[in-house]
Amino acid sequence: MPEIFIDGHRYEFEGDHKVLQFIQDLGKEVPFFCYHPSMTAPANCRQCMVKAGQYMKDRETGDYEVDENGDRVIRWFPKLQTSCNLMAADGMVILTQETDELVKRAQKDNLELILINHPLDCPICDQAGECPLQIQTYKYGPEGSRFEVKKVHKPKRIQLGPRVVLDAERCINCTRCTRFTQEISKTHQLTITSRGDKNYPTTAPGREFDDPYSLNTVDICPVGALTSADFRFKARVWEMNQTPSIDITNGKGTNIDLWTRDNLILRVTPRYNADVNDHWMPDAGREAYKIFNENRISRPQQKLDGEQVLSSWNNAIATFTEQIEETDNSKIVVIASPHASVEENYALSKYTNLLGLNQPVFTPHIEEGTRDDFLLSDDVAPNANGCRLLGFTELDKASIKKEIKKAELVVILNDNLIDREVIAADDLKEKFVVVFATNNSDTSKTADLVIPITTAAEHAASYVNVDGRIQRTYRAKETKYTDRRLDLEMSEGRLDRYGTNFDNWVTEDNKVDCLPVWAFINSLAESSGLELNFSDGREIMDEIASTVDSFSGVSYAAMDEQSGIQLSIKKETSTSK
Amino acid sequence: MSTVDWKNYTPVLLPDIKDLHKIDVYTKNGGYKALKSVLTDKKKWEGPKAVIDEVKSANIRGRGGAGFNAGLKWSFMPPADGGPRYLACNGDESEPGTFKDRKIFEYNPHVFIEGALIAAYAMEITTIYVYIRGEYKTYIDMMEKAVSDAYDKGFIGKNILGSDYSVDFYVHSGAGAYICGEETSMLESLEGKRGYPRVKPPFPAQKGLWGRPTTINNIETLSHVTGVINKGAEWFSSIGAKNHPGPVLYGISGHVNNPGVYELPSGVPVLDLIEIAGGMRNGKKLKAVIPGGSSTPILRADQLDGITMDSDSLRTVGSMLGTAGIVVMDEDTDIVDVLWRIAHFYHHESCGQCTPCREGTGWLEKILLKIKNGDGEVRDLDLLLDLTTQMEGRTICALADAAAWPVRFTINRFRDEFEARCKKKAHAVA
Repeated sequence: MPEIFIDGHRYEFEGDHKVLQFIQDLGKEVPFFCYHPSMTAPANCRQCMVKAGQYMKDRETGDYEVDENGDRVIRWFPKLQTSCNLMAADGMVILTQETDELVKRAQKDNLELILINHPLDCPICDQAGECPLQIQTYKYGPEGSRFEVKKVHKPKRIQLGPRVVLDAERCINCTRCTRFTQEISKTHQLTITSRGDKNYPTTAPGREFDDPYSLNTVDICPVGALTSADFRFKARVWEMNQTPSIDITNGKGTNIDLWTRDNLILRVTPRYNADVNDHWMPDAGREAYKIFNENRISRPQQKLDGEQVLSSWNNAIATFTEQIEETDNSKIVVIASPHASVEENYALSKYTNLLGLNQPVFTPHIEEGTRDDFLLSDDVAPNANGCRLLGFTELDKASIKKEIKKAELVVILNDNLIDREVIAADDLKEKFVVVFATNNSDTSKTADLVIPITTAAEHAASYVNVDGRIQRTYRAKETKYTDRRLDLEMSEGRLDRYGTNFDNWVTEDNKVDCLPVWAFINSLAESSGLELNFSDGREIMDEIASTVDSFSGVSYAAMDEQSGIQLSIKKETSTSK
Repeated sequence: MSTVDWKNYTPVLLPDIKDLHKIDVYTKNGGYKALKSVLTDKKKWEGPKAVIDEVKSANIRGRGGAGFNAGLKWSFMPPADGGPRYLACNGDESEPGTFKDRKIFEYNPHVFIEGALIAAYAMEITTIYVYIRGEYKTYIDMMEKAVSDAYDKGFIGKNILGSDYSVDFYVHSGAGAYICGEETSMLESLEGKRGYPRVKPPFPAQKGLWGRPTTINNIETLSHVTGVINKGAEWFSSIGAKNHPGPVLYGISGHVNNPGVYELPSGVPVLDLIEIAGGMRNGKKLKAVIPGGSSTPILRADQLDGITMDSDSLRTVGSMLGTAGIVVMDEDTDIVDVLWRIAHFYHHESCGQCTPCREGTGWLEKILLKIKNGDGEVRDLDLLLDLTTQMEGRTICALADAAAWPVRFTINRFRDEFEARCKKKAHAVA
């Protein structure tokens, strides 16, 4: 097998490898700025310099040549090489900054040059704390600068498009953003303008940077040159906790991170998953953080004299049970939801099964024209396939209407049927309507009983995407009834680890009075004298895996290990729009 | 050292013939004979390979600055696979002090066109581009006229001169960027992109224009091909210096009485060239010479004794032939000013792709401006020298080297003048 020698250690490799990526995959480090694993390597930042050479082999015997001391003969490349575009070759010798003074010096020299025209406004820069330039300057940079003349001044606070702001002075011209629009989103909206130390990325004159994936350029910008117009100046990176999650605004199931401070989700960034979304996510999904914070339903609500008023959990349980008992089973329709997780849907269906009700029905949420053949599908609900795999009856709009018409008691699990025009408010007249909902909506407003439930940011639960991949969320924020210090799965931020108790998470106002669906179902069952004891998503999934064939082998541990599990789904559902 | 007999040399690229740029005059004086011979004389030329071998043995060292054997470069082209292949002729000529190709466009465009056609035939290329710098508007128009005349006469186009060889020829205008004279950024520019040098490998012979095999040659280099085919490789390699043979277009500018382009054999003594150009202006004393365009290391007058214009001789005193664009400076020249002006040029022209050049060129200029204005300190000189090592050899193309060398060598060779300027401030304060 071909071998490569890095800093004196021998490694074997197969196939094509860029030396920089190879070194990174080994868990070692070479500093870089312009390289990105999902894009071409332009080798323009000149930071990832290494010393490279080749052990000489005897052409006839194929053995390494040795000198009089018995050491292998190395033919060094005449110049230092950028490791990002250097392909690993058999017998290659690489020295990084760890073992070679010249390399160390070259990297230091390069950082000095990068920084001479950089404004060094880290204290007011959003990127500080997650800035490759800042980190690598501390690690590999010079102690100070010898630059004593005037810096180049360039445009600042340029609104490139609706979502992205440019500070050209901070730009180090790595061209990651322009390459993103050329190679990944293929809108070709960004280019570098001007020459030399005056150049910076921008759009064509009079054009907006309204690429539907524009915010990815903010993520990959290795400095604070491109910032999100929405997130700008909202929070320092080290004040937030980063929690892995799944985008619930589209069926694609893009892997994301939720960034939380003081029980508010402040931003959404993509999380790498080679099988789903690579490093990217659509701008549309970034707005989703608002649904976790704003317009939330807190405490159950009940209609009294035609007006919704705040109620109590006990009242809600009593009312719900009363309605179930009073209504003939054939007059009850339970509408499950592609917007709710597998666990929530399962818990609800298990309860209704115990009651002897019909299997829940659901209708997928299709928005024609959303699909873009990249990371958006026409199915804008995160879990339609989950409902299918649980064996729920899939109905179109007309059939749902018909079902509702027949019923006297309608139970809707987190699905804004009125808002998305499946049914009209009139269809629910003269019926008792129970809605499990996270946020206020036209649907929740028509309900006689509203049960506030947790969002994907407040419970750990799984969703099956349009391609049949089941992936799960983690708890990113607390409710009135949880304490993150007792929850080992909740992520720790830097302030949690190094701050005082008062540095973080102090506002009670941002906690919502809601329960996971299954916790509420436990109480319902108890009041009807049924045996149900769901504890959390993890155990519910274990139960699903052992009882529903389609989910066999699925567990949180397995999903965590493989960043999601591919389930077998019928072909026509996988291509469902 | 044998002196080159330049006094009896008769120019071939720029002969004294009136209206040579007109195609009729050119053909009357033996023009397109070489092309005809290559295409039709199957006894003499057993196919394209024979042409490459002839050019290789003539040892035409590339006249664009790098001095690489043109025939050898041609032989790097992979075998023809039926797909497009390109010849890109580099007439960007943007190095300060260089203006030789302009004379070819102006006085003898057909000798270049003929050479390019022969080169294209030798490499089985079907499309030729000539990239001319945007500032040469007049010469671009002249070239377009010459190319269209050659099309009309059947020297370019389908089945040239009755052979089965067809080729197209396009004149392409640059837009005023120095960097587009670097061969791979010229390719980017030809493709309609921003002029950024490409990372090599892959080399243009493998993946050039639009990802296809491409050879890039200087205008003067290709012009010499015509003579080599007409008179033979031996004729060419017998002219001038042994290791860098053939006629050279010397572009002489600066403080001489008759600046201009002079066609002479390679290896003419530098001091003789100054005499050929009419001697020093106003009888002043020579101070320094930049031998081959502004990026080549400057030479002090006292270094020039016996030094001839070929790479070997110039290497002995630490300089290069480059483009043979000679800048002559007399005793009144302010060397600090000269260096600042050169640094200003490279700062202005750095494409900005690689960090060391983008940031380094600006820093060099700013320090030199400070020194020029009398605000410099001696430690600034050492910083400048340090910066040159931070830039050299660390970028994709050679522009960082081109920007760093003048600074390094000018300071090293005229350090006393720089120090004197730096100390002015110290004296004033004292």
